[in-house]
Amino acid sequence: MSSTPTAPAISEAEVKDGKIERGEDAPAHAVSVAPKKKEPPPETPESIRLRLFVILSFWAIVLFLGLPIWWRTTAIYRAKLPLDQMMDWADGRACRPVFPLRISIEADSLQDHEAQHLLRTTQHALDDLNDFSAHHLRLQLSPPANASITVDGLPTGGSDEEVALVIRLLPGTESKADLQSYSPILDVHYTPNQIPSSSSSSSFLATYIANTLREMFAEEQAMISYLLSTSSAPPERSPKALVPEVAESLAKWTTRSIKYSRTYHLTFSLFTPSATPSSWDIEAALEEHMKPLLQSFSSISNFTIDTQVQLYANPGVNGNVLKKEDLSGFINAAEWPLSPSIGGAPTVNFIIYVGDMEVEGGGKSWLIPQWGGVVIQSDISDLRPAMLIFSNQLMSLLGAPESGSLPLRLMTLVRVRSAGLLLKASGTMGSLARLTLALPSISIPKSVADGIYTTIEHLRKACDGLGGTEGLENAIIAEEAAEKAFFEKSMVGQVYFPDEHKIAVYLPLLGPVAVPLVMGVLKEVKAWRKRRRVSR
Amino acid sequence: MKLASFLRLPVLLASVLAPIPIAAEHTSNWAVLVSTSRFWFNYRHLANVLSLYRTVKRLGIPDSQIILMLPDDMACNPRNAFPGTVYSNADRAVDLYGDNIEVDYRGYEVTVENFIRLLTDRVGEEMPRSKRLLTDDRSNILVYMTGHGGNEFLKFQDAEEISAFDLADAFEQMWEKKRYHELLFMIDTCQANTMYSKFYSPNIIATGSSEIDQSSYSHHADNDVGVAVIDRYTYYNLDFLETQVREPSSKMTLGDLFDSYDESKIHSHPGVRWDLFPGDEQGGRERLVMDFFGNVQNVEVDNAGGNDTEWREDLLQLGKKIAELRERAEAQDAAVKNNTVPESKGGTHPSRKIRAAKVEIDETWWGKKAVGALALGGCAIVWLAGTYQDST
Repeated sequence: MSSTPTAPAISEAEVKDGKIERGEDAPAHAVSVAPKKKEPPPETPESIRLRLFVILSFWAIVLFLGLPIWWRTTAIYRAKLPLDQMMDWADGRACRPVFPLRISIEADSLQDHEAQHLLRTTQHALDDLNDFSAHHLRLQLSPPANASITVDGLPTGGSDEEVALVIRLLPGTESKADLQSYSPILDVHYTPNQIPSSSSSSSFLATYIANTLREMFAEEQAMISYLLSTSSAPPERSPKALVPEVAESLAKWTTRSIKYSRTYHLTFSLFTPSATPSSWDIEAALEEHMKPLLQSFSSISNFTIDTQVQLYANPGVNGNVLKKEDLSGFINAAEWPLSPSIGGAPTVNFIIYVGDMEVEGGGKSWLIPQWGGVVIQSDISDLRPAMLIFSNQLMSLLGAPESGSLPLRLMTLVRVRSAGLLLKASGTMGSLARLTLALPSISIPKSVADGIYTTIEHLRKACDGLGGTEGLENAIIAEEAAEKAFFEKSMVGQVYFPDEHKIAVYLPLLGPVAVPLVMGVLKEVKAWRKRRRVSR
Repeated sequence: MKLASFLRLPVLLASVLAPIPIAAEHTSNWAVLVSTSRFWFNYRHLANVLSLYRTVKRLGIPDSQIILMLPDDMACNPRNAFPGTVYSNADRAVDLYGDNIEVDYRGYEVTVENFIRLLTDRVGEEMPRSKRLLTDDRSNILVYMTGHGGNEFLKFQDAEEISAFDLADAFEQMWEKKRYHELLFMIDTCQANTMYSKFYSPNIIATGSSEIDQSSYSHHADNDVGVAVIDRYTYYNLDFLETQVREPSSKMTLGDLFDSYDESKIHSHPGVRWDLFPGDEQGGRERLVMDFFGNVQNVEVDNAGGNDTEWREDLLQLGKKIAELRERAEAQDAAVKNNTVPESKGGTHPSRKIRAAKVEIDETWWGKKAVGALALGGCAIVWLAGTYQDST
């Protein structure tokens, strides 16, 4: 029983008291020697039960405490986002941008019914001309003349709605239209025989006014329709195709204009190749020519101004006649200190270079899209021409339309900017929604969700109030909130970990813990099966 | 005045014409140049990046639009026999460090997290503008990376690595937020081509120095510096850029650049990925080298057409308007003063003050203290228990 069949030579005496006699041949046989197996005393049912409880309690801790803790601590927090709403905004389903422009007619010299008839026929003529429904000119009689009547017979929206333009009808000797330069007022002169009779459905005066208005707002209409066509609005809403030339000049317009910001930083620099001039009368020039313009922009953006003079500054391109394709190299970016890292606002650079070179074709100034402008001038005692060029360049860099009087251009800019911001914020909503779905392992903190709700709220307000400064203000808030939500600082980090990494992290920790746990269960199951076999 | 005159054209014609595709051009160029390895023996990686930095600067990208990441300071390394300089060639003709270099991220700031934050612009308010990638949908970006890498990863700082998946996701986030127009990704590391294999965002051209299971080799060593000074792939790229793209008006294309790669010289198989680019290989090959390595701006020269007088008149008109506006503003001011309403200065004059960044207040301050105290107390109890056990 104790000796194996392969080792018959071993005598009982050799293993008798548990130790092997170490003879010469002993090592050869020692391997096969097994001490007599002594059975442990049978376990009591209590101890079996106790051991079972011990194992179960360990597993219970692992399953009910360890696992939830691990799950909780490694889970990525993802705030719930209104994805459907966000996609609705991005796809243009949530908002139909409409720009109702109120144009009020002052016709004190006309009879009440005449004025109303004129209004109706002009509105008809306008509606016939207009083929872009989002941009809509609505005429009304100015309140002092007639308080509560509009074209459609609906009550007026009240005096809180801004009037885009006032038309003053004045009797005169010939028919002509004069746009006042400093306020949004159009003077229309008419001859007495042009007053439409109440029976006729159209009149010369009505058509004349309609055409004038249409011409005045054509550029703005083109800008807005271009913006909408480049966004992801549903195709049936996007306006008719633009004439290629118009589309081209609008593409240039978007290329040129700087992205909207609440504050811009203007830097005026004087670069001179020698030691003179070392000073310029920039303070007075800015006060004289720049400040009034900037002030008129104050409802759209704010500006900060800095100036600098740099001596011994050489341009990147030399020669008396500069070629057009060399001009982008004229700014010596490596050596001229034009770093924009002042404050948090984008910088617009305006540079006067002292010299007498000129561009092929005779120009001495040029505009660099989204960057600023350059003027070459040999005599800097008079800064007026340079400042005038800079103001023109600033207008186009900020995206203002090219025609019309200054107030009208600014009001157009307000509308175009609100449309642009509205579309941009909506686009950001869509990007964020798509990213959330595409990157399931990125965390989304609560601040992002809050930002999105703020954005949507203000987008709604902006969409309802498009066309006025309030719409712009709401669009700005929406855009800022959307940017903040998208660029949330904590939504970053490595999101991809290969499986090898996960194993490498967990194995040293879980291996030593898991082995006794699993082995304990296995042994217990084995013992249980053995007991069952025995008892059967 | 051009646009306005076009608008008077019969608009009815337009409905017949199909909408023309808008060929958007880029308006700014940015470069992100990253070296990812520390230590003196990785001198060549730093030299790679600095040579490229010098090249893009030569071709016109301003410092404010170059993000340079250097994880170590070879110029001031005590082992450097030429203190304060970095050379990428044994002839030591050009000191790459020079006196006009702007390093945006240096030392331990060069981490995977910071790199991804830079690309996705998820940075705090305190981050200065010079350290941010302020690109938009009209920006072309050159991303150049070099270091030690492997299959689908690139090591950062000898401590962590960025995976091809994370890089691809970062580019996708940039694309989603319209943060680039076109992007050229270049990487010089071992098994470099695997790094761009996971990209899935459009408008990217990617090129790498070596295929999977292939090493990237250094070009030559400088015996006085004591280590290799440049990698082969980068060396031959620079060779092309220095000899063929001499001035910003160069018309060399990316096709010319990639055709110049000679595998027998580079000692590995450089790869190019075109499929993400609109127009695939053909479209990509026609792109100018200067579209990515230079700063080409489409300037608009005033009065190029020769209508000098009209233009002057416009200016005069604007000047008059401004004068009028000012008068009106003054009148308004006077009226306001007459009404004895104190006028807020900030409202009328653009303020010169720049707001300081807000410092965040930590609200969980007490909780953190408690945790710390608890941990310390626990340690003390354990230590006491230990000594008590020892003594008994």
